[in-house]
Amino acid sequence: MTITETTHSNIHLVALKGALDASTAATLAKNSVLSGNLPTVIDLSGVDFLDSSGLGALVGIARKKRAANSDTLLACLNTNVRKVFEITHAYRLFDIYDDPYTAAEELSKKISAL
Amino acid sequence: MKTLIVIKEQNHAWVRNAFPGIHPLLLTLCNKPYIEYLIDFAILSRSEEIRIMSDGSLGEVEAYCMNGSRWGVELTYSNIRTTDDITTILQKNSRFCRDNRTMVINGFVFVDYDKESQYDSIINTMPDGVIASAENEGCLILRGQERNPDAAPAPSPPINLESIDSIESYYRISLDILKNKSSQFVLPGYGNEPECFIGRNVVISKSAEIEKPVSIGNNVQILSGTHIGPDAIVGSNVIIDKNSTVTESIVLDNTYIGEELDITGKTAFQNMLSDPGTQAVLSMEDPHLLRSTQNNGTLSALLRQITHAITALTIIILLMLPFLLIAPLLMVQGKWKKRLTDYHGAGDKKVISIATGTIPNQGVTGKLASIFSLNRYPLLFRVIKGDLSLIGNLPAAVSDNSSAPDQDNMTHYYRPAVFSYAEAENWPVIGSDAAIVERYYMVHSNPLKDIGMTMKALINLPHKNTPK
Repeated sequence: MTITETTHSNIHLVALKGALDASTAATLAKNSVLSGNLPTVIDLSGVDFLDSSGLGALVGIARKKRAANSDTLLACLNTNVRKVFEITHAYRLFDIYDDPYTAAEELSKKISAL
Repeated sequence: MKTLIVIKEQNHAWVRNAFPGIHPLLLTLCNKPYIEYLIDFAILSRSEEIRIMSDGSLGEVEAYCMNGSRWGVELTYSNIRTTDDITTILQKNSRFCRDNRTMVINGFVFVDYDKESQYDSIINTMPDGVIASAENEGCLILRGQERNPDAAPAPSPPINLESIDSIESYYRISLDILKNKSSQFVLPGYGNEPECFIGRNVVISKSAEIEKPVSIGNNVQILSGTHIGPDAIVGSNVIIDKNSTVTESIVLDNTYIGEELDITGKTAFQNMLSDPGTQAVLSMEDPHLLRSTQNNGTLSALLRQITHAITALTIIILLMLPFLLIAPLLMVQGKWKKRLTDYHGAGDKKVISIATGTIPNQGVTGKLASIFSLNRYPLLFRVIKGDLSLIGNLPAAVSDNSSAPDQDNMTHYYRPAVFSYAEAENWPVIGSDAAIVERYYMVHSNPLKDIGMTMKALINLPHKNTPK
């Protein structure tokens, strides 16, 4: 699992690449941006495999950020990842965008409005 | 040009109650799934990409439409949240909409288009905003830069929208398509005259009368003395039994219409008969038949048992040599796997234990065993004993609650057997399709027919077991 961090509109953009499963879910928890309280957009376009552990890690990140009045948006779900979200109905838990930069801009606007 | 189809669950909640088990986007209007009308309209508007969005599950729609190659367009799917408005939805799909004129079909609406018309001119010359809206709910919205803003709008037919918000509107729109607008849409089926659409594998009895306009789906049996039409839509996998009449009505997929019924101005779906006008629903306990059938009586049951036992004995003698030669080899090779399972019995036999055998269709011995259906051979002795019928239903396992027949079905329509009618007819052996064919033969078969059906099952089973 490769994690690439960038910033857009003062929002952290975290791009994940590789398989997000039981063996790599722990890597997400160790990432300072994902485990912190800053609003974040997670780009899943490079994730070629997602299992329940990976999904659990994403839900854990989102829950932690929401508890701290922050937010997590997801972007660019490919077919494999979208199917997992479809089966588990996890799409009800996240705002999903097809473009990470738009997601970052919207998140930035939302924070400014608060 | 791109199209976003946005349909939220609240728009079609009534479909889940009126037609349980059918995904609302796959609900058929004149035997054509609803989503196909929207895809056709998007194509007529020169859309190259279509995205279907919902706040509910889209799995079944995706399995049906796939990537859109069938229509020559690119189909994608996306999920939204219930609270998302159109602006949010467009933002969430900004990459999809970027640099393109985008048409948004919002709501569970029927777009009344004409296949002979081109809608790209109107779509490309009109400014942003709502271009058509339905009376109750739903609209057609344009977003993005128009291609020819200075050009005068080309003459184009008006686009009318009608929300499908109740069984009444569903019934009205469906029959309107059949009666008045069949030339406007590409409807499934073929016919050598207008207003008559007949699908594949439709068996129409000589004495049945078909009066157009009528639309009949695939795999339909219309038995003797029936009268179909005018204004009748009969779905796929439907049986209309003897002397029944279907006029101004919609019979949805996988429905059995019993004998001597007169269905006028109704929608029939499996065991539910609805009146679209009053929205009254008559729900039968029986999952398929719309009319109760009479018990065959003790004498005919005894005659059937004797016939089955004699036929089973004949098959035992005929297959004895292959069984004695092949079975020991399979057992030595460890290919014959037996499992003792409890099944629901018929009549006063509450539970029967059956050792079911599975043989992999591999190798010479496996293939030979499959050809002779040897895994069923030991069960033939249970037919002579009276535990099983030779042909009837596949036994329902006690552990499987979903397949357990209820008390009424147990008495009249359940007969655990070595071979099933669904196997004989080469239908899928599980699910509602199998249930329909098994119910049909439970009512209409006789001992002589049973012998023929058993032979069919013996012939069809090896083909079914052949790996593809």
